[in-house]
Amino acid sequence: MQMKKWFTPAFLLAVLLLGLGELGARLFFAADISGRFEYGYSPDAGFDERRDGTVKLFRAGGRRFHPQSFQRQRPEGTFRIFVIGDSVPRGPSFKGAYPWLLGKELQQHRIKAESVNMALPGYGARRCQVVLRKALEFQPSLIILHVNDSNKYEDEREYRRSQEFKTWHPRNWPMKIFIFRRLYEAKVEKVFWRLVPEQIRLKFAARDADAQVAASHDPEEVRARVQLARETTAASVALAQAARVPVLLITQCRVWPDEKKSFYFEDHGLDDLGRSLASEGVYFLSMKEVFAGLPDARSFFSDSGHLKQSGHLLLAQAVVRKIGEAHRQLGLTAFKVDGRDGGG
Amino acid sequence: MSFITWQYLLFLPLVLIIYWQLPGKWRLVLLLAASYFFYACWDVRFLALVLTTTIIDYICALSIEGKRTRTVWVLVLALLPAGWLGGCSFFLPASGINLVILAAAGALGLAFFIGHEIIWRLTPEKRPRFYLILSIGFCLGILGFFKYFGFFLDSAHNLLTFLGLKPNRVLLQIILPVGISFYTFQSLGYVIDVYRGHSPACSSLLTFATYDAFFPQMVAGPIERGRHLIPQLEQTQVFNPVYLQDGLRLILVGFFKKVFVADNCALLANYVFAPQTPLNGYWAVLGVVAFAFQIYGDFSGYTDIARGSAKLLGVDLAENFRFPYFARNPSEFWGRWHISLSTWFRDYLYIPLGGNRGSKWETVRNLAVTMLLAGLWHGANWIFVVWGAYHGLLLILYRVVPALRSLGDEKSTSVTRGVLAMALMWIVVLGGWAIFRSANLHQLGLWLAALGQWQTTGFLPWASSSIWLLLHVAPLLLLQILTWKYRDETSLGQVPWPVRGVVYALMLLLIVSSTEHDTEFIYFQF
Repeated sequence: MQMKKWFTPAFLLAVLLLGLGELGARLFFAADISGRFEYGYSPDAGFDERRDGTVKLFRAGGRRFHPQSFQRQRPEGTFRIFVIGDSVPRGPSFKGAYPWLLGKELQQHRIKAESVNMALPGYGARRCQVVLRKALEFQPSLIILHVNDSNKYEDEREYRRSQEFKTWHPRNWPMKIFIFRRLYEAKVEKVFWRLVPEQIRLKFAARDADAQVAASHDPEEVRARVQLARETTAASVALAQAARVPVLLITQCRVWPDEKKSFYFEDHGLDDLGRSLASEGVYFLSMKEVFAGLPDARSFFSDSGHLKQSGHLLLAQAVVRKIGEAHRQLGLTAFKVDGRDGGG
Repeated sequence: MSFITWQYLLFLPLVLIIYWQLPGKWRLVLLLAASYFFYACWDVRFLALVLTTTIIDYICALSIEGKRTRTVWVLVLALLPAGWLGGCSFFLPASGINLVILAAAGALGLAFFIGHEIIWRLTPEKRPRFYLILSIGFCLGILGFFKYFGFFLDSAHNLLTFLGLKPNRVLLQIILPVGISFYTFQSLGYVIDVYRGHSPACSSLLTFATYDAFFPQMVAGPIERGRHLIPQLEQTQVFNPVYLQDGLRLILVGFFKKVFVADNCALLANYVFAPQTPLNGYWAVLGVVAFAFQIYGDFSGYTDIARGSAKLLGVDLAENFRFPYFARNPSEFWGRWHISLSTWFRDYLYIPLGGNRGSKWETVRNLAVTMLLAGLWHGANWIFVVWGAYHGLLLILYRVVPALRSLGDEKSTSVTRGVLAMALMWIVVLGGWAIFRSANLHQLGLWLAALGQWQTTGFLPWASSSIWLLLHVAPLLLLQILTWKYRDETSLGQVPWPVRGVVYALMLLLIVSSTEHDTEFIYFQF
């Protein structure tokens, strides 16, 4: 009776609808919610560690993993490779990407290999490092870490978004409610960014993380961001070294048409970075070097940076050759090189 | 402090909780303290202006009724604003208050004191008129100085330069105090009502000061009449849950209009009316339509939040908007848009000038003067004068052209004619908003020129932006259709409760989804 006096049925209905929405989301979409608003900076998002020891990769928390699974404990005699990077190694499809092809290729070399594609579109050095930290928990035999400097902008933007409503400042209270936050996010991504021309957003949207970052065209700031990406890559390598896990750095490149109706490759100095980081347990492969010598190199690329399936196959073979070169250091005594047993 | 800040969302419940716990006589003390705190959050110095207006009009109104305020008390009150500034200067050295400002404030107080004492020595028959002149002179003088001094100075400078003279420029940076036009007009309206005998003079300074500075409506209206608000403040209310229900509903609708409709429409309007924006006809139309909904959502949203906040305190504020974009003629539009201002100008300017009681040409003159001043009230810029002139012209044409009167007749039962009249009125109102939103006449010229340019190459794609606009306007129109039959755009409470419940939930979701913009209310600048 007292309740009825204070609150109208309409008010109670609104609260009920919102409450049911929130409860439903938390009950039925709990996995999706996990790390949803960390935008790739959550350490565990997308990793589902089951009680039976299986680890499943799934799409969650800003991580669009190809669905895969592996055992937490590396099976005896299995050479486990985790490929970490952006949309280039993630590939056009799971089986069209080189990590899967790499597993197949290695099996032809008598290696019982398990190659897991942990690459995620738009991930730069900062967020790759977060994935790397998690991957190191699962006893990898080799980490293949892709080095690029084209996603530093996305890394920065998503980092700002992850921090946007993080504190318990009163202005952030509504965003602690999942359905509010989800709708806000959906509006920003599906409506705001799609319908409003970028020029308008950049100039007039006050709290758009995208606009904030893109608006900073200050060359100093851009240079600092590139530098940060490079330092983060070096830190990631050190992290793997500390865990005694070998790393293969694959430096990415871009291919552009030139005035002579031909093309040229551009690596933004990443090859130099890869070379400088190569040391004991750290190997280096340049994508530019893999493709540059081929007369029809452009045909392996679907655009300036992404590979077609044929390109992925070529890259997988190059990685196999690299592994072959270092197979003793990698503990692959049974590796078969050019028809001969590597183990000797 | 703005309504759309988290500070206000903490401030209001705190005030409410304390307010309803206090015994009646202490509630006004709390309301006045809360109101001054609310205003001081913008600029603590300008409370001196609020105090000045309050003190002058309080004393003048009493004197008009022949009630003598003790000489010492008049002197103390007259010097109170200067004392406030002195306190600011002492405790806040960074406030920039120097001896010149203190001396000016002191001199203003003394001038009022002397003027008051001189007038009191006149015959009782003459006193009311002179106290009215004293009040109007001081209040409009302060308003004129802070709002229009720079404007007239600039205009005079430009005119002399145009005539080939080389005038010395007086550099005087004057900050426009928030809400000065609103509280000055509210206070003046009260004194004029007392003079006319429409309202008794308020004998309690505490009540009158609260009336002048009542935080829900102080900075952007509705401009309240003394006879409506003062009795409500004097009455000791008993809490009724209906206050809570109605208040929260109004606040929710207000936030929806401001945060979801206005701020999202602002994105396009700000782009179109920014300097250097290349415009074609599509963008020009899109921009002005976006602004029409921005200003409506912004101002009527503010009013709803103000009315809702007051309702939570058991106070009813005046209605300020009534489906203005459904008006069928200019006269009806001004009966639906910013009602408290248009009725103020009607009662205190248009009717005293003669209204429509004289010849046709006298009526035309009265309309023109009223609308020019109403335009100037909005801001110290020639563009507002042009906007006022434009609406004055519309009102005059509607009055003198019989065909227009027939088309826009509110009593007509023809649906076709009604829709046609609404559409026509909507288009001419858009023309007015294009003037209002333009920074100057040059920009208005560019906007008009864009209407002759319908090529799309070289311009941003407009189609997706028009979908953006539609997405943010459609829910507002649905809300208006839902409440249309109750003739009150804030009558959501009369809609069947299941529909209302869903509407509440949807509005809340839409508000929260739009929190990325932090824009101020447009009318705060007036």
